[in-house]
Amino acid sequence: MEPVALGQEPVTLSVRRAVLSALGPMERVGVALVLLITVVAALVPLIAPHGPYETVGLAYQSPAQHPLLGTDEVGRDLFSRLLYGLRSSWFSALVVVSAGAVIGLAIGLLAGVRGGWVDTVLMRITDAGLALPGPIIAIAVAVALGPSLIHTLIAVTVVWWPWYARIVRGETRAIVVRPHFDAARLAGVGRFRLAFRHVLPGALPAVVIAASVDLGYLVLTLAGLSFLGLGAPPPAPELGAMAYQGLDSLFSFPWIPLAPAFAVFVLAAAANMAGDGLRDLLEDV
Amino acid sequence: MQTDANDPRSVTAAEPATEGASRPVATVRGLHLRLPGGVHALRGVDLEIEAGEIVGLVGESGSGKTMLGLSLLGLAPAGARFEGEAWLAGTEMTAADSEARRLARREHAGAVFQDPMTSLNPTMKIGTQVGEAAASREAVVEALEQVGFPEPERRLGQYPHELSGGLRQRVMIAMAIARRPALVLLDEPTTALDVTLQRTTLKLLRGLRDELGVAMLFITHDLAVAAEIADRVAVLYAGRVAELGVPSAVFRHPSHPYTAGLLASRLALAGGDRDGELATLGGEPPDPRRLPPGCPFEPRCPFSREVCSLGLPALVPSPRHPGLDACVRAAEIAPELEAGAARALALAPPPVSSAPEPAPGVAALELRHVEKTFRSRRHEQRAVSDVSLTVPEGGALALVGESGCGKTTILRIAVALERAGGGAVELGPGGRPQMVFQDAGSSLTPWMTVRQLLDERVRTEGLGAAERSRRIDETLAWVGLSQEVATMRPSRLSGGQRQRVALARAVIVPPALLACDEPTSALDVSLAAVVINLLRRLRRELGVALLFVTHDLAVARAVAEEIAVMSAGRIVERGETDRVLREPQSEETRRLLEAVPSMERTWR
Repeated sequence: MEPVALGQEPVTLSVRRAVLSALGPMERVGVALVLLITVVAALVPLIAPHGPYETVGLAYQSPAQHPLLGTDEVGRDLFSRLLYGLRSSWFSALVVVSAGAVIGLAIGLLAGVRGGWVDTVLMRITDAGLALPGPIIAIAVAVALGPSLIHTLIAVTVVWWPWYARIVRGETRAIVVRPHFDAARLAGVGRFRLAFRHVLPGALPAVVIAASVDLGYLVLTLAGLSFLGLGAPPPAPELGAMAYQGLDSLFSFPWIPLAPAFAVFVLAAAANMAGDGLRDLLEDV
Repeated sequence: MQTDANDPRSVTAAEPATEGASRPVATVRGLHLRLPGGVHALRGVDLEIEAGEIVGLVGESGSGKTMLGLSLLGLAPAGARFEGEAWLAGTEMTAADSEARRLARREHAGAVFQDPMTSLNPTMKIGTQVGEAAASREAVVEALEQVGFPEPERRLGQYPHELSGGLRQRVMIAMAIARRPALVLLDEPTTALDVTLQRTTLKLLRGLRDELGVAMLFITHDLAVAAEIADRVAVLYAGRVAELGVPSAVFRHPSHPYTAGLLASRLALAGGDRDGELATLGGEPPDPRRLPPGCPFEPRCPFSREVCSLGLPALVPSPRHPGLDACVRAAEIAPELEAGAARALALAPPPVSSAPEPAPGVAALELRHVEKTFRSRRHEQRAVSDVSLTVPEGGALALVGESGCGKTTILRIAVALERAGGGAVELGPGGRPQMVFQDAGSSLTPWMTVRQLLDERVRTEGLGAAERSRRIDETLAWVGLSQEVATMRPSRLSGGQRQRVALARAVIVPPALLACDEPTSALDVSLAAVVINLLRRLRRELGVALLFVTHDLAVARAVAEEIAVMSAGRIVERGETDRVLREPQSEETRRLLEAVPSMERTWR
């Protein structure tokens, strides 16, 4: 090549430049679905035909007898409960991912920029977090504090953030040895600005990628935990719990457990497809 | 070296390296190369490389040197479209399918690229790596012996990270010659090396050519390196050959204004002065997507007339030397070029330098008995031992030495990016010291615009928004950048623009001391001269003191009136630059001086 890296591209790209047109058809469908799911989840109270706890008729009505999906074992509108369950699962996953990413960013950034003993201590704590078995922690929290959605979210976040801290710390270490970091230090840039303006934007794409791929996995994890009874206690509408409660009717009224299970599948698949797309886009740089 | 009589290539290999050898190993005819994105990288190149001949390919960044080399090896980027022919020993590389190209490469070609650090596979042992090119273990050892690799038998099991840069370079050369190729492509093989290693490498390559009769295409942006190694040199500009011939003729009697301009912007070890402006080519190479219809050099050419923009000038016999050139006015402007070249190459007696009298007692930087040892868990490395130096207010000190001698560590200690392990560092009055880095591109935060980067620096002065904005505009103009640049991110700037932005940030709040870490070593000659001119203006107009690290003595001389030569962490010689270069006292200085590639010495 021509003399040294003069034409070198920047190490990273701002998320803004992530252009939809560069995505393949599957990824585009994924991104569209994720946006659609988020909008629908936000509007559930307005569009659901009935409330989640409202008894609308007899139990076990088939879709032919009651509009859309029929009723559940106590006569509530299954479709409405499904929508509320979707809203709860989706927002729970978003909350855990956001909380994990924010905590991970803060810790990873601090460890990476400060280095030295701060780095060592924070990373050992992170390693300890990575070693915790997620479901066991969730069970322990549920046992100690009683089953509740908030407790589950806290438990999952506790085991989730270390992944982000690791990613951010790694990216940060790579950025702080670049001359631009030294140059900014020499320009008299303050500590916070140094971290947020000269390091963070470089570490962000990796976190966005990880978070978007994780979203689908989290929907599954949370559904699994609520299936095991480690989520919001009944009668709260939750996809995993609904599938579990409907299990008894699997052979007589198969749509009761299968509809929520299918909803979990759609959420996870959409999130994964979108995540893959984002990763391709941001990693190509 | 024995050649096998049954080997069809031995005919070529056994031929002595003489000017008269007449079997081309590579022939390029009317070669055009268009890349995706509208870049017209090569525009009708004709070139022949004969057996055992070293052809130097020189020109600025983006002139198409690398593309020509890669095309000849059939390694042009995906989506490249060709016209014309590129023959590599019997295979037409522009039309052949990828398997045929691979076979031709395997049989007839070798390549060495710029960076000896990244061109070797870090997970493969040396022996295995060379073994991919050589047929047997004996051949591996033989190839390594030929490139002067010490104790090859013992080192076959070593990994690249266990070797020094110079030895890695040798491994790459061994891989390139292991199959006795007819042609080796060398793309800036010495650019990343310091002068002494560069010298050894050039000698080694010449020796290999004489011994093995291998032809070489040697790409470089350093004219003196080309003069030293090449039998013939081709000057490339905007994808076309501008001038072609024997280096002693082309560089002594250039008949193309571009060649003359490149020669004039070279820095010499003697003659000239430190206060005036260095000659530069002016402007930047044309955008390869929007080339002018006529002579591509016309927009920058001091001799341009209407006739120049009428059509592409053909490569015709030069009026001034036995080679070829592509200037329609070559005959008319010959006398003027002659005078200019004489000036550029003159071995003038060193001037009695007029170093500005340093104000006694006031220092911009003073280091006293500075020590620095880097420690890692496993070992300690002493980088700097007992270094004392002073840069007077407004003065300039060049710190020279080979790679790894500790000069950059001193620089980082001086600007407080690194803490000294012992001794004292005292900065004079004035703002915080600033630094210009070797790779300007990576010293600019990639996701920030030029305006944001500059604003951040002025902010520390506590000025209002309007005042800051005015200062930014002024500074951009001062370093010769237009206002549009302010809104761009570094990736959209050219190499020259990036170095100017880096300089603008360093001086927008004028520092008392500016530390420079080889700011010109990655730049083309003409751009290097631009940067040096800017540094000189900085001293004249703002009274900034310079601490300038380089391994290039000519650059040191162009910038600083005082020089300190370092070796193994210590200063071994210091004094007034011209005196040190004229009467070197230490072994290290003599070694550095001898290693500087020089046209004058080559032809003496």
